[in-house]
Amino acid sequence: MSMAERTAQVTWTGDLASGNGTIERVGSGAIGALAVSWAARTEDESGGKTSPEELIAAAHASCFSMALSAALAKAGHAPDQLSSSATVTFIPGEGITKSVLAVEGRVPGMDEGAFREAAEGAKDNCPVSQALKGNVELEVRARLSA
Amino acid sequence: VPRVEREASVVWEGSSAKGRGAITAGSSGAFTGLPYTEPTRVGAPEGHTSPEELLAAAHGACFAMSLAAELSRARTRPERLDVRANVVLDEVEGRGHLIVASELTVRGRVPEADADGFAAAVAAAHAGCTFSALIEASAEVTIDATLEG
Repeated sequence: MSMAERTAQVTWTGDLASGNGTIERVGSGAIGALAVSWAARTEDESGGKTSPEELIAAAHASCFSMALSAALAKAGHAPDQLSSSATVTFIPGEGITKSVLAVEGRVPGMDEGAFREAAEGAKDNCPVSQALKGNVELEVRARLSA
Repeated sequence: VPRVEREASVVWEGSSAKGRGAITAGSSGAFTGLPYTEPTRVGAPEGHTSPEELLAAAHGACFAMSLAAELSRARTRPERLDVRANVVLDEVEGRGHLIVASELTVRGRVPEADADGFAAAVAAAHAGCTFSALIEASAEVTIDATLEG
């Protein structure tokens, strides 16, 4: 049985529209302090500020990549490299509606169909997908690079 | 309706047990090339972030914004909110690793709010925070909130 707890500390000052937030620190020390604001979250230009949606995209892409590498290794085709992304859609007032994963893999000895199937499996089963499932539309586009 | 997209990217090399990845905030550039591995995801972090830590940061930031909105709507503007999010990944019999909980600890300095008003805003923020609803498929969200002063 392995259990992992991961923590982040955020502060906010003022109201939503004109106030400011800071992701002060995370347990690992890997990120922080990072500024966040409602304007940066909801406008087309992020102004260099991260947002809950970008952090979810980072969590989803990283979780998916690890799950896919595990599935490929299990099938005897550990990847040389997986290059993945997640794009998360937020509609203010409605919520987070969608996360689209895309992955390009360099996987010796594997054919395109098997790779796409493994990517579908990782999209359905990685822990972040399992948490989001049913509440968010999930999609994956997978292809092998030459 | 305005629609916002945010993107992050990852490069992963090798098998899950021995490989490593690097995480980049594609839309903002707020972080680039953060290393992560399987051993540091489930064991001691050794300075490496993980999907769960990024979710904790997302949840903390999302809840802080929701609570600021609810308090302002009730005409009790927050001076300062401190939100700690703790995301728990656990191995569940027959289902592998799941994100089972996100525990929020909130402290608010809200000069014009009383205890009931603050509690009502916390409940509304919980219902309204898009992230809390999002992870319900596998995780339970709990909130421990205190009004300071």
